[in-house]
Formats: sequence, structure tokens, C-alpha cells
Amino acid sequence: MNNITRRAFLRASGIGMAILGTGGLSSFAAETKGRRVVVIGGGWGGATAAKYIRLADSSIEVTLLEPNKEFISCPFSNLVLSGVESIKRLTIGYDGLTKHGVKIRHEAATAIEPDKRRVRVGNDYLEYDRLIVSPGIDFQWDQVEGLDKAKDAVLHAWKAGPQTVKLAQQLHSMKDGGVFVMTVPLAAFRCPPGPYERACQVAWYLKTKKPRSKLIVLDANKDIVSKTGLFKASFKDYPNLEYRPSNKVEKIDAGAREVTTELGDKVKYDVINLIPPQRAAAIAVEADLVGADKRWCEVDHVTYESVKQKNIHVVGDSTIGLPVPKSGNVANAMGKICATAVVHLLNDKEAPVIAPGNTCYSWVNDKEAIAVVNSYKIENRKVVQIEQKLTPGKSVAVAQNSLAWRTSIWNDILA
Amino acid sequence: MRKSLSLSVFLAALGLVLLAFGADAGPLDSPGASKALVCSACHGFGGNSPGNTVPILAGMSPAYFKKAIRDYAEGKRPSPEMEPYSKYVLQSGLDEIAAYFAEQKKLPARPKPDPNAVRRGMAIAAQCTVCHNPRGEGDPERGFPDLRGQPAGFLEAQTALLKEDKRKLQDATLDELKKKLLKRLSDRNIADVAAYYSSLK
Repeated sequence: MNNITRRAFLRASGIGMAILGTGGLSSFAAETKGRRVVVIGGGWGGATAAKYIRLADSSIEVTLLEPNKEFISCPFSNLVLSGVESIKRLTIGYDGLTKHGVKIRHEAATAIEPDKRRVRVGNDYLEYDRLIVSPGIDFQWDQVEGLDKAKDAVLHAWKAGPQTVKLAQQLHSMKDGGVFVMTVPLAAFRCPPGPYERACQVAWYLKTKKPRSKLIVLDANKDIVSKTGLFKASFKDYPNLEYRPSNKVEKIDAGAREVTTELGDKVKYDVINLIPPQRAAAIAVEADLVGADKRWCEVDHVTYESVKQKNIHVVGDSTIGLPVPKSGNVANAMGKICATAVVHLLNDKEAPVIAPGNTCYSWVNDKEAIAVVNSYKIENRKVVQIEQKLTPGKSVAVAQNSLAWRTSIWNDILA
Repeated sequence: MRKSLSLSVFLAALGLVLLAFGADAGPLDSPGASKALVCSACHGFGGNSPGNTVPILAGMSPAYFKKAIRDYAEGKRPSPEMEPYSKYVLQSGLDEIAAYFAEQKKLPARPKPDPNAVRRGMAIAAQCTVCHNPRGEGDPERGFPDLRGQPAGFLEAQTALLKEDKRKLQDATLDELKKKLLKRLSDRNIADVAAYYSSLK
């Protein structure tokens, strides 16, 4: 239904207005005030939010700022390393959002000016009535000595894209008998089970294609952060995988191909995948959306409005304080709930109380997967977990479910 | 004159209708729609699942939807995914969510079953009519699901669970009958019969 047509029609239709009465007048007034939403970031949270605002109320103007021309799914990108999946199949265009009337600008937001309710984009400004910030994560390069200098050669591959492809190439061209070292930062970071799924994929690839090679996982955490028992069981399939918990990497020497842990151990590598510590992306930090930790953004659990800045909502991996993981599924849920809240608030209505959900699959070889599922409710305006359930073990059936999930959720975000 | 009057009346009536569904009353503005927002990650927008192993909820009988949710919550139907989410549905509003999905227009399953499998499955399906009726429409009010147009991967996975006795039927006599019937079916038979029911409208 075209709301602009409706608005024009209502203005023109005196009889309509007379019959509508006071209830109609208040609705009419609500329609004429500002209805512009700007969304920063076209990932799992932002793209979903932009689409769902348009679905719920097409009279709201939505502009999405996303520098990348295409969406590349982080979920399933670990499978690109093992060659089980191709990056092409994880790449989706933004045309679907355009069809919903989302205005997309493939540019980066450079600054937020909360007092003026506007976002700077290059030399231009975009004014908003409500802003949704879904910028994802940035890396804290300074947390590992020598990393800032070496960051072009030392790959994180923690944002699916060119780095994913490059790391796959490095792995595939490593000599048999080589050592692949992966480092895991202290929680919290994007995708808690991600490093361990990646370890399984790299170990599976090496076991199958380069049987004399070895994978060493240096984990800053005391134990596997997510799906602990299930990953431990899967690690047993890989004698070529050496998992070292409580091994925080503090230094890298790319010339010597060596990392140094907090304990002073030096570990040589042929290929390194260093996943650095993370925080909310720079734009959120600079707009003072982050809390006392200077890393993550605290939000209202019902509307996702920042607790620090009015009319600015934050969704996705850059948030903290909800008992939910930094997962794509959660970002998608936050996007939908936040969109619903923003539509209600722009129409002077109270936002409905809706809880997110989390379904999270990890592939442990070329055809089997494990999963964790969390359901939540809202109690006293706070997200509370109802239940967490793990799959009993790895299976082909779970992997098949993960393919159905990705088909559905990619549609939910972008189609 | 008559023409312009009827136009005015029409416009006024249209205005009322439009306001009844006001700006804030898009397709998502019902309690059930809000509460079902999280479901679309796996079950698709409006419950029209595009994946092969996730069922379509659009147009589902509310009675059968509610039975399924209760069965998942009680562990009668094993699913690591649906066990937590069924509790979400029960706690946030079973009736509203069931009504929301029932109101949605059901679209055909996206994965298209292999025509040869469909043809083989048609011959096997004769055994299923006792409970699921000649066209697979079942009797959802009495707990017999409508199999038509569900994704084949979902039907196949559920039939395998029933065969392995990991999913039990509420009635002991029926459960025995199900075991006897399914014991005779190979994995290939099950895949074929799933393809057949998926192809039906």
C-alpha cells in the first residue's frame, strides 16, 4: 500500500477528513511529522532493520549506508578455508532491499552528530529522526605487539571477504609438513563458536590434503568458549590439531614468522591466522555509544535505543549487556525487533515487547554439523534466557538443517 | 454529479478502510506478527519456509500448530532447534502465533522434488491414506498433519524419526500401526513418498 498516495488523498478528501473524526486526526498528525530513518551498516542487523521498517510502514523513508557493494555472509565463511564452500555462494546483492524501497548508498558513514540528528557521509549530511547503528566490529590492533605494522600480511579473515579468500590461498599453498597457527582472543568477540569451527575446517583440510601438517590453536581463553563438549568431541577426530588453552598471544614477528604468548612461549608458523581482540566499530566509539569499557554499546532490551544517546538505536555485534551471543541470527532478530520498535515510536506508539532468538550451526568436517539453540523472553524489560539446547552430537541432518537455515535467513535479511 | 458523489463516498470509505489499517498497521502490526518475528529466521517470512528441511507454517491449522508446539516443548518430538523455541512460543502467546501463521497464504515449497521420485512415491503413498487421507490433507484438527506442499526434506526427516521410533504418536494403537507400516519402507521409499507429498497442492 502506498502511503504517499494515501497522504495526498487524505489531504484532498474533505469528506474523508470529516468522517474520520478525532481518532483520524491524531493518526493524520502522526503521519506528517518527520519519518526519516538512517541505518548505518548493511550486515545481518542493519540490512534486516532497513527491510523490516519498510515492510511495516512504507511511509517511512529509509536510507542504508553500506560501503560494500555486496553482502558476504560470515556464517559459512570458515568452509571457504577448507574448500567445502565457495565465497561466491556466500555473496548476495542488495537489490532485494531496493525493491522494498530502501535507499542504499554504498558509502561509509564518517561521523554521527547526535545533537543535530544527522550523519556525515563524505562532505554530505543525512538528517534522521531515528538512527539505527549496526556497524559490526573493529579490531584492536594495538593489543598485540607488532600487529599494527604487520596487519596487511597477517590475516584475521574475521570479516568475510577478500581476507577469507586470501587465507584459503595461504592454507592451500602451504607445504605439506607445515604448521598453521590460529589465535583466539579473549571473549567477547564476534561469533563465539567461530574460531573452533574454523579450527575443525582447517584441521579437516590438512588431514585430508596435507596429512603431515599440523594446526596449533592458541586460545587466550581458559577453555573452548562455545559448544565446548561438542567441539572437544570433534577435536578428537583431528590428531593433527593441537589445542592450547590459556595461551594469549601478545606479540607477533611477521619477519621471523613467530608469535609469543603471555607465558613467553614462542611458536613458529608457516601460515598464521591471528584473530585480534575486538570492539564496536569506530563510528560507534566516536559517537560515544560505547560504555565504560570503551568497547561495546549498551542498549535498551526492548527498543535497542542506546542508553547514552537518544533517538539512536544499536543492533548486532557491537552491543553488550544482553545475555545473547554475538551471532548473525541474533543480529537478524535484533534488526527485526528494533525495526518494529522504531516504526511504533515514529507513530507515537509504545514499542511491543519482543525477545530475540539464536540458532547457531557449526560445521565440524565436510558434511556434519553441531548446533546450539537459545530461546529468550523479556522480564522487567530485560532479555532473559528461557533455555539453551545443544545437538546430541554431530550429524549430517544438522548440517542439512543449517543449509535450510541459511537459505531462509539470507532471504529474511535481503530478499 | 451522481458520478462525483459516488466518487466522494468511495473515497471517504476508502479513507476509513485505510485508517483502520493505519500507517502503523502494516503487515507486521498484529500481536501474533510481532511475536512471530523471530520465527522467520528459519521458517521464512509469513511462515513460507524456503529451505528443504524446515516446515512451512503459513496456512497451518491452528489446532495442529498448537499440538506440534506442545509436543516439542514436552520432548515428544525431538528437535534441538524447536525444543527451546517451542517454550518461547508457549510463553509469549501460543494462540496469537498460531492465528498469525494460519492467516498467512501458503506458497508451494521452493525445493522442487524430482519427478521420478514423485512418481515412485505415489505408488507407496497408498499405505498412508489411512491417516493422511487420499490427498494427504490429513485431519489436522484431530492431530493428523496436512502433508501437502511441505518441503520434501522435512517430510523425509520426520518420517525417518517416526520409523526409528524417536517420534511417537499420541495414541498407542496408532503408534503400533505406524511402526508396522514404516518398517516396510526403505530409506529410498521414504524419500520418494516425501517427494510425492511435497509435490501435492
